[in-house]
Amino acid sequence: MASKLYAWFDSRLRLKPIEKTILDEPIPGGASWNYVFGSATLFIFVLQAITGMFLAVYYVPSPDHAYDTVQFIQHEVWFGWFVRGLHHWGASAVMLAIGLHMLQVFFDGAYKPPRELMWMVGVVLFLIMMSFGFTGYLLPWDQNAYWATQVGINMAGTVPIIGDFVVPILRGGEMLGALTISRFFAIHVLILPSILIFGIMLHIFILRRVGPAGPWDEKRAKEGSETFYPRQVYMDAVVMLGIFIALVVLAVTVEFPLADKADPTDNTFMPVPEWYFLFYYQLLKYAHGPFEPLVTWVLPAIFFVGLFLLPFLDRHPERRISRRPVTLGAGFVFLIGMFALLGISLNDLYAVPKTNPSIIRGQELIAKYACKTCHRIHGEGAAIAPDLSFVADRRPEREWHLKHFRDPQSVSPGSFMPKFPLTERELNDLINYLLTLKSGA
Amino acid sequence: METPNQSDQHEPSGGFSTPVGSRRSFFQWVTGGVACIIGLGLAVPLAAYFISPALTRRKKSWVSVGKVKDLPMGTPKSLDYTMRIKDGWMETKAIKAVWAVRQPDNQVTVFSPICPHLGCSFRWNQQDRQFQCPCHGSVYDPKGNVLDGPAPRPLDQLPSKIEDGELKVMY
Repeated sequence: MASKLYAWFDSRLRLKPIEKTILDEPIPGGASWNYVFGSATLFIFVLQAITGMFLAVYYVPSPDHAYDTVQFIQHEVWFGWFVRGLHHWGASAVMLAIGLHMLQVFFDGAYKPPRELMWMVGVVLFLIMMSFGFTGYLLPWDQNAYWATQVGINMAGTVPIIGDFVVPILRGGEMLGALTISRFFAIHVLILPSILIFGIMLHIFILRRVGPAGPWDEKRAKEGSETFYPRQVYMDAVVMLGIFIALVVLAVTVEFPLADKADPTDNTFMPVPEWYFLFYYQLLKYAHGPFEPLVTWVLPAIFFVGLFLLPFLDRHPERRISRRPVTLGAGFVFLIGMFALLGISLNDLYAVPKTNPSIIRGQELIAKYACKTCHRIHGEGAAIAPDLSFVADRRPEREWHLKHFRDPQSVSPGSFMPKFPLTERELNDLINYLLTLKSGA
Repeated sequence: METPNQSDQHEPSGGFSTPVGSRRSFFQWVTGGVACIIGLGLAVPLAAYFISPALTRRKKSWVSVGKVKDLPMGTPKSLDYTMRIKDGWMETKAIKAVWAVRQPDNQVTVFSPICPHLGCSFRWNQQDRQFQCPCHGSVYDPKGNVLDGPAPRPLDQLPSKIEDGELKVMY
């Protein structure tokens, strides 16, 4: 039946040559699990496009309604939490997939002639993907979205000459508000996808013109090739299924509640970026005064220009990794630096010293007594009572906390903090934990 | 003539070659299976996501619309009241009106203000003692029965009850 239908269409549209072109692309050295990253990236992008279209069914891009519509999607629309979850985790996954794809091409030397153009288009695609992340982050219009975007836009303002010009354009005026969210929405769902689709087509067009790089080992490359279909397609499909299952599991098991609705007057909120920006966030902390522009734009500019021009900076045709010490070294220095910064940042933000079980018990008490119903710690919890993210900076004395827990109003008149029935041990654990909450600066 | 599954006629070159035979069909089956799992895994939740508002019923509650003793016996009266309506992610205040008729046995019949013909608002004509719809000329008596015109059924009654002399409706 299916083959009859195919024959009917084929006799009219002559599909056979197209099918051959698409499926019978020769892969030098044979199919490999090393080649799945590009397809994986494309798959996650398609997933983002689909879930994004469905989110747009209920989402409204305005400061009045954006937050409510996202809450509505999360809590009232059937599978709304699931669709939003897939889109949220998909955004992280696509960054991860691009990162792995670029590393594979980098270490494999696949950007070398004649594939320079493919690499350069790829770098542009990476930048577009980051713009997706930046514009999409604002859309839920919660505190995190608002303040992280504020910081991101202000960073663009540190670029000399063009900075002052770019910031009001990005914001759509003097302040982050109605015009910002509507232009970010249009960029995120209409403009960037159109550019990205064109870029992906170009990327694949170049791939098909120059062919895949294959193994750097001449001998292995000459051993022969196989067609893209069926084995490489099968490998790509298995990886796609793995990614899909991972995203579904994350969407189902890991909650990522919205923070409070964006409040432009609340200057106590500490935005924490997504994990893929954390290393950069940490780097920014070390940049003070005259060094700040160095990190906010000089380094990123050098990095991306360098990345873009990599095929012309590293001109030696040798692809074998063992014969490319400089490139290899640069790659490793970048990776080590990035993971070190990421580690420090995660440690600063979330980790508690593992050696002291009392502190861990104290952290558990925060959940037991639902402290985050009123207090916020690193972006989690309500902003009704004081933010505790760095409470030890303000209140480093154990004595004060003891008095405060026993009778809050005695040290903080007029406070509506209730007296909790804490045992002596709980009191001790809780204070031990609170005293770890300091900025470290 | 070639059919799609005959593309395994590739000349193997050198040590590597495109898989053929049962090995080939294994890869084809896995690929097809993956496509089905991901397709269904997305299609089912997304379909539910899309149709959900159509299948979610609005929560109705009793609203007090006035005192029974203020209603004239036998003559319909339009009662206005405001209620909060959940419109998707919005909550709006809406002013609604219903027609209430106090019957001789002190029971009250409450009619929806919408003509069952095509949804216009009908009026009470005191002279003729009839409900009359201006759009297409449907006419009803005070009990809601159709007297004339294209109306397919009597006026729609709303659930109502009387508590401590207060008339409550669910609309």
